[in-house]
Amino acid sequence: MILLPYRITKFALQNFWRNFWLSVITISMLVLTLLSINILLVFNFVTDQAVNYVEDRVEISVYFYEQTTEEQLAGAVAYLRSLSQVRDVEVVTAQEALDRFIKQHADDEEIMQSIETVEDNPFGPTLVVKAESVQDFDFIIQALENPNYQDLIREKDFSNYEEIISGIRGSTERVQWFGYGLTAIFLLIAILIVFNTVRIGIFIHREEIAIMKLVGASSWFVRAPFLLEGIIYSVFALLIVVAILYPVLLTLEPKFSSYFGSTIPLMDHFYHEGIWIFVSELIALILINTISTGLAMRKYLKV
Amino acid sequence: MIQLKNVSKVYPPNVIGVKDVSLHIRPGEFVSIVGQSGTGKSTLSKMLFAEERPTTGKIYIGGWDITNISDQDVPLLRRQIGVVFQDFKLLPKKTVHENVAFALEVSGEKYQRIKKVVPQVLKIVNLSAQADRYPYQLSGGEQQRVVIARALVHRPKIFVADEPTGNLDTINTREIIDLLKKINEFGTTVVLVTHNREVVNALKKRVITLDNGQIVSDVETGRYRI
Repeated sequence: MILLPYRITKFALQNFWRNFWLSVITISMLVLTLLSINILLVFNFVTDQAVNYVEDRVEISVYFYEQTTEEQLAGAVAYLRSLSQVRDVEVVTAQEALDRFIKQHADDEEIMQSIETVEDNPFGPTLVVKAESVQDFDFIIQALENPNYQDLIREKDFSNYEEIISGIRGSTERVQWFGYGLTAIFLLIAILIVFNTVRIGIFIHREEIAIMKLVGASSWFVRAPFLLEGIIYSVFALLIVVAILYPVLLTLEPKFSSYFGSTIPLMDHFYHEGIWIFVSELIALILINTISTGLAMRKYLKV
Repeated sequence: MIQLKNVSKVYPPNVIGVKDVSLHIRPGEFVSIVGQSGTGKSTLSKMLFAEERPTTGKIYIGGWDITNISDQDVPLLRRQIGVVFQDFKLLPKKTVHENVAFALEVSGEKYQRIKKVVPQVLKIVNLSAQADRYPYQLSGGEQQRVVIARALVHRPKIFVADEPTGNLDTINTREIIDLLKKINEFGTTVVLVTHNREVVNALKKRVITLDNGQIVSDVETGRYRI
């Protein structure tokens, strides 16, 4: 019973080693294919993170009249926090608003002089509202039309809110669709490359396949070493891709983070999701290899 | 041992390979099938080990009707027939020893037996010293002897040699024919397909002559007469 698997493994390893350059070329093709897919995955991850980062920074400033009491303000804060669409509400008191304004315009003498001439604090308290997602801002804006608070609000900093939101939504969707489209095209190209690489490999061996059949080998005995060889190619290709990706991602992570001004947790993603991504890729590669080998050999096994 | 009943082979669209051939080869016989190129000699020999299937008629090997043999049974048939080809058909990435051993490995033969039998067969064909060489490192005659060793290693009851000397010089031809005679002396039925006049005349064995896919003569101690 053990004889057959042993012989199949022996022939597969012999084929792999004795057709060294064919093995190298096949593995290189698989490596390039896997690299393309993984680069695309990294690209999707980074753009996703970047979009999240931008979305995180979108906020609404709600300016209250100076006369608004602390109780009224606390009521407004509690009301907003009770909404499931609201992620965070930051309270900026009138004094803090003035301090921020002074700090921001410290170099502008005219503004500073104007502030000095106005004896009272011209600022009222402000609430800075962040939403759970960009889509929730519509709801929050409507919620602030509540008659209990409507009269307390002097101004809502929604000036170009709609433009920003629709801009972000638009680019997010475009990036996502671009990513999906690119992934689909790359997958198709990857499948075609693997399929053709395997076909060429089998074509080179077509005479040997016929000879094996003529000396009494069953179709499975001929086919099995080639299938196993495909698995060996896939494992080698994946190991090489991991060996290339790991240092590259390690180098890229701080560069991405400094470019976007926020941590892009590439390595975290690699450690947590990498195993599943690579196992899935290996399974897919073995599957494509097996199907391609089976299809490519069918013709030459009819001897 | 080998029986063909009204066997015809037609290749699409309408090319006749063999036409209404009937013959009977007894166990232990040495039969030469002769004829000019394109007369159906190779088609006939290929049908004996199911590389080709007859369009009509019946083929029996040792009483086994192989006319419509299933794909699963083809390897079993081929393990019982030793076949020698004009173009050698050796596995280029395997050594002489591995090429011969492969024929046993495919039938699930144990390693101890392979280790014992392969050197014996290589000794018979006088290739012990070349056991670790690859086919491209051998001469034509040596390559053909490897093929004979591979065909012999199963101890087949039937030995089919399709133009085994077609690519060889006179000395190598004589060596190969001597080997075939020796194999026949051990009781193996030998079917030799050839158009080599000298070989057929020197053998003084049964000669079946084909012309246009049909048997035109079948003589017990025949000569090449075309």
